[in-house]
Amino acid sequence: MNQSTSASSLTWAKVTESKLFFPILVLAFIFLFDLVAIPGFFRIESRDGDLYGSLIHILRNGSTVMVLALGMTLVIATGGVDLSVGAVMAIAASVAALMMNPYVLAEELPPHLMSMMQDPYFTYSPLWVVIPVALIVSIVCGLWNGLLVAYGKIEPMVATLILMIAGRGIAQLITNAVRIQIFYQPYAFIGQGWLILPFSLYIVAVVYVFSWVLTRKTAIGLFVSSVGINFRSSFFSGIDEKKIKLMAYAFCGFCAGIAGLIASSNIKTSDANNIGLLLELDAILAVVIGGTLLGAGGRFSLLASIFGALVMQATTTSMYALGVPANAVTAIKGLVVFLVILLYSEQVGGFLRRIGGRQGV
Amino acid sequence: MMPKLGTAFTNMQRFLPLSATVLLFFAAYAVGAMVYTPMRDPQVFLNLFRNTPFLLISAVGMTFVILSGGIDLSVSGMVALTTVASAALLRAGLNAWLVMLLMLVMGMTMGAIMGSLITYLKVQPFIVTLAGMWVARGLCFFISDDRININNRTYTILARTKLLIPGLADPVTQQGPFVSILVVVAVMVLVVAMYVLHYTRFGRTVYAMGGGGGANEQSARLMGLPVDRTKVIVYTLNGFCSALAGITMSMMVMSGHGLYANGFELTVIAVVVMGGTMLTGGEGYVFGTLFGVLVYAIIQALIQFNGKLSSWWTNIVVGLLMLMFIGIQSFLAARRIRRVASKRERAGVARGWRPILAGGRPSLSLGGGVVVVLILALLGVMSAQGTGLRIGGSSPTEEARCEPKPYRQDQAASLMESGAVVAFERNGGPHCTDFLYAIYPDGRIVGDDGVNTVEKQITPEEVSELLSAINDQGWFTDEMYDTWHTPCRQCYGHYVTISYDGQEKTVKGVNGGTDAPAEYWHVVALITGLLPEFPPAEQGMQGETP
Repeated sequence: MNQSTSASSLTWAKVTESKLFFPILVLAFIFLFDLVAIPGFFRIESRDGDLYGSLIHILRNGSTVMVLALGMTLVIATGGVDLSVGAVMAIAASVAALMMNPYVLAEELPPHLMSMMQDPYFTYSPLWVVIPVALIVSIVCGLWNGLLVAYGKIEPMVATLILMIAGRGIAQLITNAVRIQIFYQPYAFIGQGWLILPFSLYIVAVVYVFSWVLTRKTAIGLFVSSVGINFRSSFFSGIDEKKIKLMAYAFCGFCAGIAGLIASSNIKTSDANNIGLLLELDAILAVVIGGTLLGAGGRFSLLASIFGALVMQATTTSMYALGVPANAVTAIKGLVVFLVILLYSEQVGGFLRRIGGRQGV
Repeated sequence: MMPKLGTAFTNMQRFLPLSATVLLFFAAYAVGAMVYTPMRDPQVFLNLFRNTPFLLISAVGMTFVILSGGIDLSVSGMVALTTVASAALLRAGLNAWLVMLLMLVMGMTMGAIMGSLITYLKVQPFIVTLAGMWVARGLCFFISDDRININNRTYTILARTKLLIPGLADPVTQQGPFVSILVVVAVMVLVVAMYVLHYTRFGRTVYAMGGGGGANEQSARLMGLPVDRTKVIVYTLNGFCSALAGITMSMMVMSGHGLYANGFELTVIAVVVMGGTMLTGGEGYVFGTLFGVLVYAIIQALIQFNGKLSSWWTNIVVGLLMLMFIGIQSFLAARRIRRVASKRERAGVARGWRPILAGGRPSLSLGGGVVVVLILALLGVMSAQGTGLRIGGSSPTEEARCEPKPYRQDQAASLMESGAVVAFERNGGPHCTDFLYAIYPDGRIVGDDGVNTVEKQITPEEVSELLSAINDQGWFTDEMYDTWHTPCRQCYGHYVTISYDGQEKTVKGVNGGTDAPAEYWHVVALITGLLPEFPPAEQGMQGETP
């Protein structure tokens, strides 16, 4: 075996083992399918300088899951899982909506609700109060999960299941089970605004850069992986595994809060029953498609999780474009997950390695 | 003497979570019976079973899965798929028994496929069953977008037959406490499961596989137990239970729809955990699951009897109870580890109660217990207030079980013909009300609920303003479409007809779901803001905005 062939097989191995390989492969398959089956899928048009089109649609609608996936990646990398993000989204949305429009809970509806709705800047508390408070509440939710997991030593799936079940009840408690309408335009900009690209994308980018710096430019990322691989030995090597876990869950709560704000500003209501419903599953799948091992933790890639979220959203959007009814799309989504499971199995992994080996020979 | 006592305590300890559940159930029932006289009726006790046979069946299957160290999220999808598929097949004229058989085979096939993927591809059960749930739920909508009603004699007989309790009921007049056939089926499933789990080789293997974070599975494999086969069978069994639960549910609601049983898998898992089964597997009793179901049912019953608390309190109480049970379990687990350690240190010296006073976890379980007691006390106080207000009134059961009124869309159509620009019907809610409002271009608003009528006058400008605002929400575009699902107890079904600029369009929707477009609720809010209210006895709009 000479130098060049071994080098090429080495690159092939490097490519297939990269966490980005499978998500991008699946995404490419989906886009290839779209290219053949849906004419005009890749068309992007500009209206008043803002860009619109199916691809932009994928990015915009996937933004909540992308943000959730970033937080979830760290939690899964520590060997845990957070099932409560959907409920935390609902709590954050309820807190935000209540702060902007508490009149709904009054005994009598204000007489001039109509005229108040007409004023696009009508709010009870300004944006710079609403957002921090909602995010602090969601961080507290994350800390609660972290406390149960790290200090209570409860199985992550069980510990976060508690908040997942009780969280929606708490959100209902906050809003007194009323669906609060949001009229405040600046808040609606979070989910509906466009600055050439949808504004929510910039939020995703900021959260991504923040978490990338946090995990790749400080030692925290390494600590997170090492806690996931073996928390006992990381403890013996001087890493405070409990604090690392606590931080991961708090960050996940923070991300869920942001996702909750985006979701509620998108539909301009606090819908405690439905905001983020089953989104925790989408987020976990996005991370798993991104190659971070659920249950085992260890090495992780934030960018791969983002691509995982895009795979899910691209599937959904393509099916909508094909005219599949909204509720039936879940079946296709499930089939894509089965496909991904097959791709990730050891059997297929071995097959790919054999291909690489044959190329080398 | 001391070591013997220690062993007895260890043996008792295994039953501690189970006995806590049993105790909690009877305590809650006793409190309820003390506060609410109607709850002493034996029929109310039997209703705890009558309302939950599908939950019990599904929870029994889930107990197997959890004991084996896995989890199955697909149950809710499977239940929904079973209701839709069986309703569609019955509509096509197939024999009812054949349909049931087909459903069971379908459930087992799905379970077997998921079990094989989990076992042979070594994928996390969480992921596989999640995908299974999505596939099942999506398939429902390939079969039918709308609800399919079931009109089948066999189904009706199975659902409606009253089995009177011998000794308590009068066989001649057919009066007295009774259960349904479905309850008997559920209890049979429970008994068979208990036998299988405790007296067969398969059952012992299930116990041996679970727990220890996968280490026990390894040991079971090394002992030569058929781990792979057992795993596939466990998921197949749960598929069977899900399908059976789906059949039971379709008999109880006599229809099938893809949105049924949303979030059902979480209830099932919560019930199993409340029944004392460790979510990590390997420990627990299927008998405890029965009491988990009963505790869930009694919480719902208490909240219903109270009448003032919303149904979402169920979620909060269930969450807190789970916290308490998990606290107890992790405390016991920690205690066992310490016991082993201390045995290694000094053989034969029993440590007794000492660990209870040390360490963080006991305080956690104690804290959880305190919170639960507080919540129960709060419920008790609130419910006492509720009865105080209700003396002499109708009993809460009758109120909670009011019959929904029919929709009056023919009347709405005639209102539109008589010149109304908006016809607004709101039907359902905890009191089964049916309001029909009409808004006329001259500003007159007339509402009636079948008994009373109310009127209100606004300016014509306000009406035109309202109409243009509704138009701005895209009422006449394709973005505003019909949606429908069965309204929950707190929810209302809405029919809104708008006539504007020569166009007329009716859109229906039910609150409490994500299916309807957000703009629809915006329009509903715009209209309800203007409507006059009915006299307070009917308890209309307040606090119930969509």
